[in-house]
Amino acid sequence: MFKHIFIYRLKVLMKDKTMLFWTLIFPIALAAFFKLSFGGLVEQGTFRAIDVVVVEETRQEGFMGVMESLSSGDDQLFNMTIEDMDTAKGMLEEEMVTAIITVNETIGMTVNQSGFGQSIVKSVLDQYNNTANAVENILSTNPAAFESIAEDLRSRVTYTVEQPITDAKMDITLNYFYALIAMASLYGSFFGMEEVNNIQANLSVHAARVNMAPVHKLKIFLSSTSASLVIQYSEMLVFLAYLRFILNVDFGSQIGLILLTTFVGSLVGISLGAFVSALFKSGEDVKTGILIGTTMTGAFLSGLMFGDIKYLVQTKMPILALVNPVNVLSDAFYALYFYDDYIRYTQNIAILLSFSFVFCTATYLIIRRRKYASI
Amino acid sequence: MVVKVNNLVKRYGDLLALDHLSLEVRSGEIFGLLGPNGSGKTTAINCILSLLKYDKGDITVFDKPMSPDAYDIKKDIGVVMQEVAVFNELTVYENIDYFCGLYVSDKAKRKALVDEAIDFVGLNDFRKFRPKKLSGGLLRRLNIACGIAHKPKLIILDEPTVAVDPQSRNKILEGIVDLNKLGATVIYTSHYMEEVEQICSRIMIIDKGKVIASGTKDELKSMITLGEKITLDVFNIEEAQIEGFRQLRNVTSVDYSEGILVIRSLKGKNNLERVLEYVKSEGISFGKIYSEMPTLNDVFLEITGKELRD
Repeated sequence: MFKHIFIYRLKVLMKDKTMLFWTLIFPIALAAFFKLSFGGLVEQGTFRAIDVVVVEETRQEGFMGVMESLSSGDDQLFNMTIEDMDTAKGMLEEEMVTAIITVNETIGMTVNQSGFGQSIVKSVLDQYNNTANAVENILSTNPAAFESIAEDLRSRVTYTVEQPITDAKMDITLNYFYALIAMASLYGSFFGMEEVNNIQANLSVHAARVNMAPVHKLKIFLSSTSASLVIQYSEMLVFLAYLRFILNVDFGSQIGLILLTTFVGSLVGISLGAFVSALFKSGEDVKTGILIGTTMTGAFLSGLMFGDIKYLVQTKMPILALVNPVNVLSDAFYALYFYDDYIRYTQNIAILLSFSFVFCTATYLIIRRRKYASI
Repeated sequence: MVVKVNNLVKRYGDLLALDHLSLEVRSGEIFGLLGPNGSGKTTAINCILSLLKYDKGDITVFDKPMSPDAYDIKKDIGVVMQEVAVFNELTVYENIDYFCGLYVSDKAKRKALVDEAIDFVGLNDFRKFRPKKLSGGLLRRLNIACGIAHKPKLIILDEPTVAVDPQSRNKILEGIVDLNKLGATVIYTSHYMEEVEQICSRIMIIDKGKVIASGTKDELKSMITLGEKITLDVFNIEEAQIEGFRQLRNVTSVDYSEGILVIRSLKGKNNLERVLEYVKSEGISFGKIYSEMPTLNDVFLEITGKELRD
């Protein structure tokens, strides 16, 4: 009996185009939209070395040493070329460089517009000039201080220490995609709603017919919900594959736990839908509206549309963050990616399983009723 | 007794939907539950099937108390609801197989039953069609097949011919009679008196949740005073001659309009003969003449004072 109902429910659900749209096509379209919108954000956050041309009218070993140091290595600040003044002016004119640095007795710069790069060049030159002037002044009054000044300049101390919580590369767009995956998982609620509609005689004609059959209602519910879970999880796998391989969203290396999280998310989604459907007697359209409203509100509060809201909710109303399944689910992905230990992740999964348990128990308590006051 | 309902009371808030309704359905009969829309037919059926809670009364099916988990009773019941309950995503064959599978787990046995049901409702050419591709009549037939494929001993059909074309309606009615001949007891609800009159061996008329009358169609018709209705196509008739018809024994009313004369009479012998004698004596020319016995609508009209279709 389980197999019979399970297989037919799979057939029905696979051919339900409306359901397929909401649970798969819509999240895919939204992800593509996100990718297009966020495409430039990561590049904007990456520093590109500033192109400068140096015109060395007077040889200054010290300054050229500093410039060569700033123009090499992984964290180079400048791309430096050395040319005569005419060539340098041509390069500036054609915007091949940001600034011309002129090396004389003093160090000067020429720019033809203001901007971020120009400010950095100016800041570096100001700092060099100030330091050079200070050293010159000190040595003119106290030549014996040369050694200690040289030592001070060599051993600059940073008084703050960066302590990274993870080795993972920071990507500000990931939170949006995590919230989107959470939202898509919770869209599994449509499947849960459908299953309860199909076994409650006061909700649909199909259910009335099923209720007249000599089969226990719980058996029908479990077999049809299992079919829903298989379909929803399969769709989520397609969605994850799309994010990972087409949109190149980085999920880190813990693929097994990511799949587990998605499975738990699908379970929460389906049980939420079943609970809402059992709780409200209204029509399918009203219930769909309630589920979309709940899921979208949850997604909004977990940062799907506006990234900072997640932080705001977390700090101002932490209880709201805790009872929002979309937030807990997206946070589980976040914890998996950014944290090296599993404490936060495990907490999130435990909360999600609790949600599912509560929804399932409440649903059972409602649908176990066998006779209806009206049909 | 296949079904026995005793003193059933069902309320929806202040509305009394079933008012101490009692009925008995005997093995092998087609039992008609006739009444206007909203009279309580579907409510009564849903109570019998243990889908609805009721306030008072006893219901037994196959001489056992009916309850939601009476699976040994349910396996022998087939139900065809008023609304079509099939899955649009499944084919005709799959729909019947799905619902039949809720009763019969053996795959080979089920296949034979599904094939038989498809054959029975005449959907052989549409086995792989989805419901959306079927006409209203064919869809109703599919709905019936889903309810009867497992060969139940008791079949309950709740207005199965609503919004069905005459051809499909006849096919459905013939099918119900055939099911009965094959041994199934049938409960048939309808507000179409012609259908009930055509196929049912016993009829119960209900209105406002109350039993108005019950019996065979002849027993029901014998409960009223109204006799036959005689209709004549006349070419020329004078007012005095119409008045003459009114004076005939047992005649209760005479109406004349556009060449059609309708004479209604009380029950009694030789009503038609007297009318014919009068026509001959007055030399009234007529095209055709025919006599109709009272219908169930007349029964309902006389008992309740309103038309069955009101």
